[in-house]
Amino acid sequence: MQKSFKKVESWNIGGLEYWARRSIIPLFRYSSLIILLISIFFLPLKSFSAETVKFKYLQSIYFDDRGGGIKQPEGVACNDKSVLVIGDTGNDRLLRYTLEEKNLKAGTEIKIPQLSNPIRVQLNSKGEIFALDGKKRRVVRITPDGSFKSYVDPEGMPAPAAFVLRSVKIDTNNNIYLLDIFSARVLVLNSEGKYQKQIPFPKEYGFFSDLAVDPKGSVLLVDCVKAMIFFSAKDSNSFTPLTRSLREYLDFPTNISTDSRGIIYLVDENGGGIVILGQDGSYLGRQLSAGWNEGLLNFPSQMSINEKGEVFIADRGNSRVQIFTLVK
Amino acid sequence: MKLRLKWLFLPILFMSLLIFSLSYAQNKFKLKPDAKGKLCLSCHDNFKEKLKNQFIHTPVKSGECSECHNPHTSSHGKLLDADPNKICNKCHEGIVPKNPKSSHKVVTEGNCVKCHDPHASNNKFVLLKAGNDLCFDCHKNIGETVAKAKFKHNPVEKGCINCHDPHASTKAKYLLKNDLVVLCVTCHKTDQPNFVKQHMNYPVAKADCSSCHNAHGSDKAGILFDNVHQPVANKMCGQCHEASTSPDALKTKKAGFELCRGCHSSMMNDTFSKNRIHWPLVDKVGCLNCHEPHASPRKNLLMGEMKSLCGKCHQDTMGLQTRLAEKERQEKAAAKDNVMKGALTHNPIREGNCEACHTPHASDSVFLLKQPSMIELCGTCHDWLKHTSHPMGEKVADSRNKNLRMNCLSCHRSHGTGYQYLIPFPTVTDLCVQCHKQYKR
Repeated sequence: MQKSFKKVESWNIGGLEYWARRSIIPLFRYSSLIILLISIFFLPLKSFSAETVKFKYLQSIYFDDRGGGIKQPEGVACNDKSVLVIGDTGNDRLLRYTLEEKNLKAGTEIKIPQLSNPIRVQLNSKGEIFALDGKKRRVVRITPDGSFKSYVDPEGMPAPAAFVLRSVKIDTNNNIYLLDIFSARVLVLNSEGKYQKQIPFPKEYGFFSDLAVDPKGSVLLVDCVKAMIFFSAKDSNSFTPLTRSLREYLDFPTNISTDSRGIIYLVDENGGGIVILGQDGSYLGRQLSAGWNEGLLNFPSQMSINEKGEVFIADRGNSRVQIFTLVK
Repeated sequence: MKLRLKWLFLPILFMSLLIFSLSYAQNKFKLKPDAKGKLCLSCHDNFKEKLKNQFIHTPVKSGECSECHNPHTSSHGKLLDADPNKICNKCHEGIVPKNPKSSHKVVTEGNCVKCHDPHASNNKFVLLKAGNDLCFDCHKNIGETVAKAKFKHNPVEKGCINCHDPHASTKAKYLLKNDLVVLCVTCHKTDQPNFVKQHMNYPVAKADCSSCHNAHGSDKAGILFDNVHQPVANKMCGQCHEASTSPDALKTKKAGFELCRGCHSSMMNDTFSKNRIHWPLVDKVGCLNCHEPHASPRKNLLMGEMKSLCGKCHQDTMGLQTRLAEKERQEKAAAKDNVMKGALTHNPIREGNCEACHTPHASDSVFLLKQPSMIELCGTCHDWLKHTSHPMGEKVADSRNKNLRMNCLSCHRSHGTGYQYLIPFPTVTDLCVQCHKQYKR
């Protein structure tokens, strides 16, 4: 102790001496203590952010409000206003529910001639429904009261003009993202359907089955053949791999979604489970497994998660939609 | 002076050690001079006949039997001095170059004796057989194609090694000595008028020759593959490609399925009228994800056998089949004479016949199934009325879930599960008590 003080004195830098004695020297002296304190207080925070979430089963939806059974549903969407929309694919219709305090209400049928075979469903902040028609491969925009508004056909889109839509996503600003597999790109439209930009697919890929938009506005693509995720930051115009092949964790990922923290959820259709990844693509865990009983999945198709941590999964093979809640 | 002696002593010691080790290595069994191979032949009398062959392996010729064999003891068969799959590498180390683009499986496995006689033979390189006969012993299909072909490819007749390196290739797939096009143009001069005329003036000098031609011979003139796309057969390249005079002559007139739709309109209309489509059909590559555009050895111009073609994307399904087939093989071997009941794999998948259940283009049913009723689909092969008396059909609800009806998939998984009868539980009892809970023990 005395020795180091003497060393500081020998610097002979006048007014800094007092500061050095008071600040720098104790800092060195207690450095190990400081490191220990940082470890105690900050590391748990880091591990909290990467903590694996678990799904707790709440209930299943089997019927509409008239007691009609759901048949092979492939789409499901929810918002933070407790609205839930199911793409009842096998019955060529949508079903609209509200879930308040774990109480499920209504189950109103939305059946319009412009929509058959709804395979992907999305909701915007105004409560409008966007459903991808698997037969016509067009996105239908439906008003909150359940009537047809328009088809989502990109306005002012540059060449190539041809497109085939495989999926649709809506971000928090109501921008529309379309997965165009024919011209190998993601089309970004504003809330009115006007073209904003396009992001070409990467050079090397297998087949993109879905896209997601995270809270930062980054676009994610899931490659079901290579079992990989590709990433494009908000202002970027290209995709880069976010993960290597995730084949060891899943069989055939066909749907991707993110929560408000940016955690990524992949629906493993053939494997009957949900794989969870961190924002950086790191593997955080796998939830649920294949089967018939409640809480198990049979060829799940789409997953949706809201701010409350409620998870909705279109359990196609079991002809139901299952509701889970996230627990830590 | 002492230091100088010390420096002199060290090299002498080193040289002595080197000479000792070399001499030991050359005669590690301390054989008498003149003994060597002659000593071995005193017992292995029938080997003398072998040595009358025209080509003799160098160590055999020099009587160095102990180069490969240990005269006293060995952990390997035939008293070999090392692992039979590695022993050749002792001398022939560089036979497979580093980072080859393709390598012969038998070579990488160290099965040199599949092709070479380690002692002597009447064929060059001590090969077991001369010419293509050796290759066709394993590559039977190609052998048959070559033998039956009406139009033969001259280099194949002369020998496979005209184009292929039997060990490995650093330049191309399929053990080709060079990139395919480079290899072809060494004989076929692309600027010759006849070549240009045959290819309808299209600039094909750098195109993939194997997209039309079967290098091993064919029944079609011009050694085209047996199944030729009609526009190619009619030499109407312009039906799909830009004009031959165009700067981008090989570019297709339209992209993806839109190009094919022009001729295959009825098939396309039928496809697009279905509820569910096989998505790759409408992506950027379209029909060419599965079909060859020009010619193919397979029906419907398919790119490959269905097992590998479907497995290209559905790796999980095909991977499961491979694992199950291996498990089945092991269980059968363990069962020995006891007949195993209930297969682990499903015949159509094992045989690569995905079309037995699925339609490749589109369907109104989930999984692109051929029929909406699972019971009827399975019934095309299985007489389920004889198989089970369990109630099934649209009127029989699944007790686990009122939205489900009892059908074959209520108990079985058509792609296999790892358990016999393709059921998702280890025993039949485990399966039954899922619904019949009163019998659960």
